[in-house]
Amino acid sequence: MSQLLQSELRKLTYLRANWLLLLWSGLFAALGTVAPIMILNSDENRLSGGFSGTSTPEGINAVFANAASGYLFALILGILIMTNEYRHGTAVGTFLVTPKRSTVLLAKLMAASMAGLVVQLFSFLMAITSGFIALTFFEPHAPVAAELLFKVFRAAAISGLVLGIVGVGIGALIRNQIAAVTGAVIWTLIVEGLVVAFVDSIGKYLPAGAITGLVDVDFGKNDFNFSIDNYLTPGPATLVLLGYAALFSLIAMRTTLRRDLD
Amino acid sequence: MSSAKIEFRDLSKHYKDVLAVSNFSAQVQSGRVTGFLGPNGAGKSTALRCLLGLVTPTNGSALINGGGYSQLEDPIRKVGAVLDSRGFHPGLTAKQNLKVMASATDINFSRIDEVLELVDLAGTASKRTKGFSLGMKQRLSLAIAMLGDPEILILDEPANGLDPLGIVWLREFLQKLAGEGRTILVSSHQLAEMQNTVNDVLIINKGVLVARGSIKEICQGGSLEEAFLELTFKK
Ligand SMILES: Nc1ncnc2c1ncn2[C@@H]1O[C@H](COP(=O)(O)OP(=O)(O)O)[C@@H](O)[C@H]1O
Ligand SMILES: [Mg+2]
Repeated sequence: MSQLLQSELRKLTYLRANWLLLLWSGLFAALGTVAPIMILNSDENRLSGGFSGTSTPEGINAVFANAASGYLFALILGILIMTNEYRHGTAVGTFLVTPKRSTVLLAKLMAASMAGLVVQLFSFLMAITSGFIALTFFEPHAPVAAELLFKVFRAAAISGLVLGIVGVGIGALIRNQIAAVTGAVIWTLIVEGLVVAFVDSIGKYLPAGAITGLVDVDFGKNDFNFSIDNYLTPGPATLVLLGYAALFSLIAMRTTLRRDLD
Repeated sequence: MSSAKIEFRDLSKHYKDVLAVSNFSAQVQSGRVTGFLGPNGAGKSTALRCLLGLVTPTNGSALINGGGYSQLEDPIRKVGAVLDSRGFHPGLTAKQNLKVMASATDINFSRIDEVLELVDLAGTASKRTKGFSLGMKQRLSLAIAMLGDPEILILDEPANGLDPLGIVWLREFLQKLAGEGRTILVSSHQLAEMQNTVNDVLIINKGVLVARGSIKEICQGGSLEEAFLELTFKK
C-alpha cells in the first residue's frame, strides 16, 4: 500500500500542470481576501453602508472566511488524479501492475486527500498573507482574532481532505476529463454558490454550505440577508462533509472495480 | 493441468450486440513465439485484454500459469504486456513513467536504466514522451513490459506504425527474448512481417479460432499471407 501511495504521489509531483494548479489555488484564494477588502473600503460601500466595513470584527470575518475558498482546486486535482488515467490510457498500466483495483483506488483516494490538504494549506497561507498586506492600506481596521484564523484554517484543512476524495469519485464516474472539470467548476462557482446564497435550507447541506457552517463566523450587515444562523454548526457540518467523502469513495469503487478497460 | 503457460478455455466476450470473441480455446507453449493473427476486428485485442484481467469475459476463461492474471502475485514480474493504448503519460519523461511503474511494486530503479538500454532509448530517457515518434513510443512500451524481467510477454500489434527498420529491430528483439526461453504471444494483422518472427500461429477470424499449429504446418511451403487468406475467406 505504501508503495502504491508512493507511485501515486510520483504521478502527482512529476506533472508540471499540478504545480501550476497549486499556484492558481493560491492566487484565487488571495483574491478572495484582497477583493473584499477593496470592496468594503470603497467609497460606495462606505457611503451606502451595505456591508460591515473592515473597521468592524464582522467585516474582518467576512474577509478572512474566504481564506478557505481554494477547495475548488482540491476538487479539480482529485478529478485530474482519476481522469488522467483514462485520458492518457495509463489506467491499463496501473491495473496491470496492481490488478486489485480496490487497492489502487484506495491509494488514489489517499493521494487525492493529501493533495487536497496541501492545496488548502498553501491557498490558506496565500490568502491570509495577502489579506494582512492589503489591510495595511486601510488602517485602522478591527483586529484579526486568532480564533477566526483557527476556524478558517480548520475549514480549509477539512474541506481540502474531503474535496480531493470527492474529485476522485467524480473523475471515476465521468471519466472524461474536460467534462468532469468543466462540470465541477460550473457547479462550484455558479450553481452551488447561488443555491447556498439564496436557498439556504438546501444549501447548508451542499459542500459549500457545510464549509460555510464549518467556518462558523458572523459576517454582520450585508446585502444578501446572509446569516450564519441559517447554516449547520461545525460538528454537523464536518459530519456532512465526511458523508460526502464516504459517498464519493463508494462511487469511485463501484464504478471502477469491474469496468472493462480499453 | 497442462504445461501451457497461456490457455484460453471456451472464451467468449459479448459487447452489447457484438460477439467479439466466441468459444475461443487455444494454448500457447512456453519458450516459443506464437503469432496471434487475424484481420482488424477479429477479436485479438479483446482476447488479450481478457487474458490480462482488463476485460471480464462473458463466458469461459483466459489463464496464465493455470490461473487468472489478477491472481498472480506481483504480476509484472511474470507477465509483460504491450497494448495498443499508449500506457504512459505524455507530460512525463520516459524515465519518470518507468519510475511511476517501478515504485508501485518493489522493482529497483537500477532496472529502469537497463530496460531503457535494452530498447535503445537510453539517450532520450529524460525527454517528455509527448515528443516521441511512434517507433519510440512502441519501444518505450516494450521497456515498460520488460521492467519486471517477465518470462511471459503479451504484445498487441507491437509492429503497428513502425517503419521497415523498426520492424527489423522488433523482429530481432523478439527473437532474442525467445532465445532466452521466454514465452511470447504477439498479435498482428500484418502477416508478412510475422512470417520470419513466429514459431507457432493462432489464427482468429470474427472471434472464432480458424487454425493453429506451427508456422510450417500452417504455411505448407507457401507464404503465411496465402495460408491466412485461404483460411479466413473459406469460412
Ligand atoms: N469496448 C468495446 N465496446 C464495443 N465493441 C467492442 C469493444 N472493443 C471491441 N469491440 C468490438 O469487438 C470486435 C473485436 O475487436 P478487437 O478485439 O479490437 O479486434 P482486433 O484486435 O482483432 O482488431 C470488433 O467488432 C470491435 O468493434
Ligand atoms: Mg486490436
